[in-house]
Amino acid sequence: MLCKGCCTMMGTIFEIKRFAVHDGNGIRTTVFFKGCPLKCVWCHNPEGISFEKQMAYMPEKCINCGECVKVCPSSAHRIVNNLHVYQSIMCTSCGKCEEICLSGALKKYGEQISIQSLLSILLEDRIFYEQSGGGVTLSGGECLCQADFCEELLIELKHNGINTAVDTCGFVKRKAIEKVIPYTDIFLYDLKAIDENVHIKCTGKSNKLILDNLKYIDSCNKKIEIRIPFVPSYNAGEIKKIGEYLKNVKNLTKIKLLPYHNYAGSKYTSLAMRNTLPRELPQKEETDMAIATLKNMGFYVE
Amino acid sequence: MNLFDFDANRTILNKQYNEAEWIDGGLTKDELQNKVLEMTYEVKDISIAMIKAKTFKYILENAQIAIDNKDIFHDKINAEGIMNKQRYIWLREVYDSYFSDDLVYKNHAYDLGAITAEADFGHTSLSRDLIDYGYGGLLDRLHKHMSSNQNLAEEQKEFYESCEIVLNAIMGFILRLAEAVKQYDLDSYECLKQISRGKPTNIYEAMQLMIIHYRLHEYVFGTRLRTLGRLDKLLFPYYENDIKTGKYTKVEIKQMLKYFLNKFWAAKVPFDMPFLLGGMDENGNEVTNELSYMIVETYNELNIYSPKIHIRVSEKTPPRFIKLVLNCIRGGNSSFVFSNDNVTIKALQKAGIGDSEAKDYVLIGCYEPAAWGVELGCTGCASINLAKAIELVMTGGKDLNTGVQLGLPSGEIRSFDDFENALKLQIKYLIDKAIAFTNKLESHYMEISPDPIISSTIYDCVKKGKDAYAGGAKYNNTSLQVMCVASFVDAVLAVKELVFNQKLVSYDELCEILKKNWEGNEKLRLTAKKLMQKYGNGNKEADMLTKQITEYTAGLINNKANGRGGVYKAGLFTIDECFRLGKVTMATPDGRFAGEPLSKNLCAVTGMDKCGITALMKSAAEIDFTDFSNGAVLDFVLHPSAVKGDDGLNAMYGLLKSYFAAGGALLHGNVFNSEDLKKAQERPEAYSTLQVRVCGWNAYFVTLSKEEQDAFIAQAENAL
Repeated sequence: MLCKGCCTMMGTIFEIKRFAVHDGNGIRTTVFFKGCPLKCVWCHNPEGISFEKQMAYMPEKCINCGECVKVCPSSAHRIVNNLHVYQSIMCTSCGKCEEICLSGALKKYGEQISIQSLLSILLEDRIFYEQSGGGVTLSGGECLCQADFCEELLIELKHNGINTAVDTCGFVKRKAIEKVIPYTDIFLYDLKAIDENVHIKCTGKSNKLILDNLKYIDSCNKKIEIRIPFVPSYNAGEIKKIGEYLKNVKNLTKIKLLPYHNYAGSKYTSLAMRNTLPRELPQKEETDMAIATLKNMGFYVE
Repeated sequence: MNLFDFDANRTILNKQYNEAEWIDGGLTKDELQNKVLEMTYEVKDISIAMIKAKTFKYILENAQIAIDNKDIFHDKINAEGIMNKQRYIWLREVYDSYFSDDLVYKNHAYDLGAITAEADFGHTSLSRDLIDYGYGGLLDRLHKHMSSNQNLAEEQKEFYESCEIVLNAIMGFILRLAEAVKQYDLDSYECLKQISRGKPTNIYEAMQLMIIHYRLHEYVFGTRLRTLGRLDKLLFPYYENDIKTGKYTKVEIKQMLKYFLNKFWAAKVPFDMPFLLGGMDENGNEVTNELSYMIVETYNELNIYSPKIHIRVSEKTPPRFIKLVLNCIRGGNSSFVFSNDNVTIKALQKAGIGDSEAKDYVLIGCYEPAAWGVELGCTGCASINLAKAIELVMTGGKDLNTGVQLGLPSGEIRSFDDFENALKLQIKYLIDKAIAFTNKLESHYMEISPDPIISSTIYDCVKKGKDAYAGGAKYNNTSLQVMCVASFVDAVLAVKELVFNQKLVSYDELCEILKKNWEGNEKLRLTAKKLMQKYGNGNKEADMLTKQITEYTAGLINNKANGRGGVYKAGLFTIDECFRLGKVTMATPDGRFAGEPLSKNLCAVTGMDKCGITALMKSAAEIDFTDFSNGAVLDFVLHPSAVKGDDGLNAMYGLLKSYFAAGGALLHGNVFNSEDLKKAQERPEAYSTLQVRVCGWNAYFVTLSKEEQDAFIAQAENAL
């Protein structure tokens, strides 16, 4: 393998998912990078928001054996009245307790990994990519917040003949996109709202940069799949506007409407994060109507 | 014959075998049973083959028959299971006459879950010669070979005579049916008249012939017929000709298929007796044709799971056809198994099957490849439980619970090498025992269950004048299944880690802990469970051991002589034995408690395939499946969300193609989520039609035992 001085470069990821089938074409492996500049209220990967590593504790799995107490350098774990008590505020997320935990009650999110280590995992499923027209997807969190690492990784992947997809929220510097664009086969691009105020309400940030970057990618003639997280109480009124906006995107392959779900609730609890998930779930009629709206505008919608 | 009443009459048709109205004039089943027992005991101066032939003739002439005037196919005879009683009597006699200590050992070894060694009259295929010749043609062929040999030995004369008796009896029986149906349905009458002697002239006659043959073979004569063979290949010439000549339209043929397929469903045929579609023919050309699609579509519309369907996949099998089947599976109709032509054909060739015969293989029973119509494979005779070998090494060869000596005493174990060597010796000992017992039993097959019906449909038997169960077929192979590979691999590597690498416990201590079922050692048990070295995750060490142990066992089995002039073929599957074997195998070093199920087929130990389906497939594909010509099957469980939409169907197709490209042999599985299964467990009445692929067959989920249901839920929880 060619070394281009990237051997020492490390990325921070929180999950690698093999047999990912809805993150681009075919069977793929998706790498989830840690850290995201947006704070979407409906985020279903809360473990991907913070750029720091984090410890999750799932008390329902704990057998109160006390092994973690012995290895914890910061006294985050204690046994009180034969029961395990975990104080996240003391925790430095060193991960020693995860290694020792026998019942799977502790899990560290956030691991430093080198290009070569990551690559060797990603190449494991090469035969599945080849047979199904799949490849590798970089996702997150926001992968392009680690653009240098992504660039090197994508170069290696292309060098190995692997199809590449970048799943991004678009709220990144132009420079980051410029870095990865030559080695990216398709962008999976999230759009939540066109109205700036709605966007701020949803994500905490303006969408100016996001829309600009979308135009830029389109101007580079890269394939774009648009993904709309559909949370009716927030962006039901935006669907038509998104459709209008997308009429000017030349390289659009399809639109995927992702109806919001609240499965991630327990993750917020285990990470001791404030659960911001909206209560209301999309009704089937609302989802059908949103899809119909876009289809009627002539888009290929899934 | 009104083809278009199927849907209206389906409920009635489904009850036809439970509520048959027997026509007056024959003997009742009880009368028949008594008469047959008399014949069995009284006649002592003729061979078993002749007794069977004469009994069969007597039954076909005297049993009650029934006609269902709502049906277009006829086969009902009130004599189910009667001849099986004869076989039990003769098997008992053989055991009493020739076996003593070896039988005691065999029974212990079965009950305590070490090895299986049984007589197998349960795995035959419908020979294409039946359709090509018809019963009259088979009789003519028999006569030709009989008369061409002037110096027939006594056994040969008797063989030919027994075949003559059964063929004539069947022809007579078909005429009985024809006369009975005449008043209701002239089309049926004409059809039955034709096939009572001649070969089928159209697709309707061909299907009727298969149905009668199956009924008489399976239910009356009592030799299990475990596949109809390559249905699309057999029927396509008739299909084409009927459409060309205008005899039947496609729409009519589709209606006929409904009656045909539903006939097996209504009869609740044992083990969901299968047929096969697709794959290459003897010349390497693809078989998949218009009819293959029509059969799968009709089957899916009927929403039944029996008969089950085997799908052969060659490099030329159209993706559209494979996706049609995958779409059925994802819709919950999962009674299919896929076989990789590339690998299976090579495996059969390695087992000594000729090139074109290997290419024309069928799967018999659940998944056992065999040369079609020329091989009498006893594919379900013998097996070894690898996890039990670990117990026996740790106990000095004695079953833990009963103290019965099943295996070899073991020497002192001071290193991992010692442990591995002891395992190898133990495994060899058990396999040799299984083979020796099976061989001895096979040498007495003619005293238990000769079979002139199957023999008259196999060319080599007729040419040689020799019964199929005496070794008359061209290939007469026997099989030995290697069971619970993943449990074995995880357990052996746990010993390596806990005892020899991490030194958390000594070997002798570990043996004692396991004998006490981990009592007081929960932390050690969880440590064992948490180890990385597990089969099914692409772990190099585990994959290497899997490769080694499968190679080693295949070497002990393949090409060893059996008791009928053939050889052994190794298989790698457990079917549902993983539950029974688990109950009688002590705690294993991988963290499993005594009594818990062992690993199924090529699956990982439940919950231990933590890297997903692609990693599991890659681990499995490390095995050289061309060493396992009796079949090696991997089960998948996919979450519905992973396979939804066009993406999902393409992903399923990609998985199948990838596994086969990597060298996988056989694949089948389920698409469901654990939530639905849990709900089904709580409210069975609301989920009464939820199908699951159990192993080589399907069942409604709610009819499974709690233990099996829990195993599926655990597997599904791991799926995404």
